[in-house]
Amino acid sequence: MQTANVNRLTPYLFLAPAAAVLAIALLYPIGYMIYASFLDWNPSQRIGEAEFVGLRNYINLLGDESFRESFAVTLKFAAIVVSLEMFVGVGLALLLDRNIRGMSLLRTLFILPMMIAPIVVGLMWRYMYHPTVGIFNRTLKNLGLEPIPWLSDGDWAFASVIIADVWQWTPFIFILSLAALQSLPQSALEAARIDGATGWQQIWYIKLPLMMPVLVVTCLLRLIDAFKVLEVILVLTNGGPGLSTEILSLRISRTASEFRELGVAAAMSNYLLILLLVLTLGMFLYNKFAETRALRLRAEAEGAAS
Amino acid sequence: MRALFNPLTGAAAALAVSASMAWANPYEDYAGTTLVVNFPAHPHYNAVMKVLPEFTKETGIRVEVDQLQYLKMRERQTLELTKNKGDYDLIAYVVFSKADYVFADQLENLARFFMNPKLANPRYDAEDLIDGYVQNIGVAGGTKGYLPGKTGSLFGIPFGSETSVLAYRKDIFEKHGLKTPETYDELLDVTCRIPKLEEGMGGMASRAASGHQASHAFLLHLAPLGGRVFDDEWNPIINNDAGVAAANALKTIVDCGPEGSQTFGPAEAAASFSQGKSAMFMDSIAFAAGFEDPAKSKVAGKVGYALHPEGVRRGSQTGGFGIAIPRNAQNKEAAFLLMQWLTSKEGDLKVAMAGGNPSRFSTYQNAELNAKYPYSATFGEALKYADPDWRPIIPTWGKINADIGTTMSKVLTEGLDPQEALDGVAERARAIMDEAGYYTWN
Repeated sequence: MQTANVNRLTPYLFLAPAAAVLAIALLYPIGYMIYASFLDWNPSQRIGEAEFVGLRNYINLLGDESFRESFAVTLKFAAIVVSLEMFVGVGLALLLDRNIRGMSLLRTLFILPMMIAPIVVGLMWRYMYHPTVGIFNRTLKNLGLEPIPWLSDGDWAFASVIIADVWQWTPFIFILSLAALQSLPQSALEAARIDGATGWQQIWYIKLPLMMPVLVVTCLLRLIDAFKVLEVILVLTNGGPGLSTEILSLRISRTASEFRELGVAAAMSNYLLILLLVLTLGMFLYNKFAETRALRLRAEAEGAAS
Repeated sequence: MRALFNPLTGAAAALAVSASMAWANPYEDYAGTTLVVNFPAHPHYNAVMKVLPEFTKETGIRVEVDQLQYLKMRERQTLELTKNKGDYDLIAYVVFSKADYVFADQLENLARFFMNPKLANPRYDAEDLIDGYVQNIGVAGGTKGYLPGKTGSLFGIPFGSETSVLAYRKDIFEKHGLKTPETYDELLDVTCRIPKLEEGMGGMASRAASGHQASHAFLLHLAPLGGRVFDDEWNPIINNDAGVAAANALKTIVDCGPEGSQTFGPAEAAASFSQGKSAMFMDSIAFAAGFEDPAKSKVAGKVGYALHPEGVRRGSQTGGFGIAIPRNAQNKEAAFLLMQWLTSKEGDLKVAMAGGNPSRFSTYQNAELNAKYPYSATFGEALKYADPDWRPIIPTWGKINADIGTTMSKVLTEGLDPQEALDGVAERARAIMDEAGYYTWN
């Protein structure tokens, strides 16, 4: 009797340490942040001294023009950056999925940008964008063209930040897509070739659909990252000129340190968290939908065959 | 080891330094104490680091320094000061931290140390400390809460404080027969003439990057042009004529400045001047030592220094650092002794000779210092016009400052109309002040 009880408890016993770590390392900070977002808390106070203000931080943020602008900038930035990176990254993977001599060297070269620390990436691009001594403007001048105000004009600064991010993170999508491509079932491709499918048709009808699950996850990972990017923009523009490149994570950091409003910063983080949860949930639902659809199709096909 | 060490150093100090040491050693009780202090990474405090061993030698009090970048330092202090028992015995604080720390009751009122006959040196001569700095950095609780006044008291002592001067290229000005600008009209006129006279050279290098830097640059012109951020009842008046004039002045300066100056921070603006890409630079006196260092600067020996030009009044900035004793410090008396030693006439001169910014009038008049740093006399003169009220030091300032900064950046880069921009700032500032309770009595 007792042994049976102990036996039943054993799995939980083994799970307990992991659950405890999870609770302490993950749930506690998140709970702390959620609690803090209901407080009027400045960093000179202990959390116990802060005044409880309910949903005031959340409501004030909705009416705060700078926050809304920064939210819009973040959405725009993430959407543009991720679409560009997906397009270029997948394109490159399709191009390079073949046996070229020195391929492994090339692949290593391609993923180098990803390995550089973000602060360094920011500094590097900052020097390249420098109005007088930067390589871009010097080249333009040598060609007899007008120099471009890379970082000193709102729209150009936004573009500059995007270029830097695309440069750094396209390789991430590239290696994942390449891995996906190389693990595709060769039988399907062979069958397509035998049926006389052109290169484009193979990509469009076979490769891309088969890669889709991987691409969806890749895209989600990049989106989450793009919403949280901080260092490169911090170094490149510090959110300026005006608020043109002030993405949400930068605003959160400024709210906490410059404005000294920890409660508001926590509320902003929660908005970002909610947005990311919605995205993740969306992807999850899409996956579920795709899976059931595939099952249904297969069932229909089997039904038709029999 | 320590027992052996103390009598020796005591004797050496008595022989070597001040006369006061000859008959008593006020430091005796504290010899062997180790103080932990928090200083910024800043030219002044780098000079302090060179002088600190002398303090240890003279007093037997050891000093452990935690040097951080100044914005990091503030973050660190914010955490340290809320603890029951703090790690720091003495902190250097950025001037705008005064409001937050005093308001949260985290700094010691210095009265009880200056009243203690065993600690206070009667030859300290506090009258000699530079008024504008003491008012701006040290005193809180007077007029409008952050300024001196009958209800104010002392929480810190200025140390590594700064004001603004105009640095200009003597050679360029002579070459074209230009006059050193004394008024804002002359300044704005000459700043836009230089790019036409010297191919590829900007008029004046100024801070302008979005955020704190643009706000700083704007306020630098606001005070001399007759403006203020708030009136005496905390109504925002930043959008009056003087405010618009200051915004226009900044825009003119940036438009006629070196290429890319819309995104300059202080370091880039200073680099533009020291690399010969701009003819003028108006900012803190702390940059001067760098301009005169031939290893870092292409313009060493070619730079003239003048007072911050006059608008409708004279008013140069006050800023930099002060030192204070946290409420949760563990060695307060010894920390006071260090504070007193560093800001005494002798200490101030030592730090200044090592490249720091003096906090005393007597130091600026010192012949030795003037021989080593010829610009010291001009800086001493500039201090007479240092304006302690050029920006408000109140707990809500961080947010208003950031708003001024991003809005000014829009004026500089997106062509936003200055009046419209400042009207927006005033409106938002009023809301922030209202929420913080500044209109409770209106």
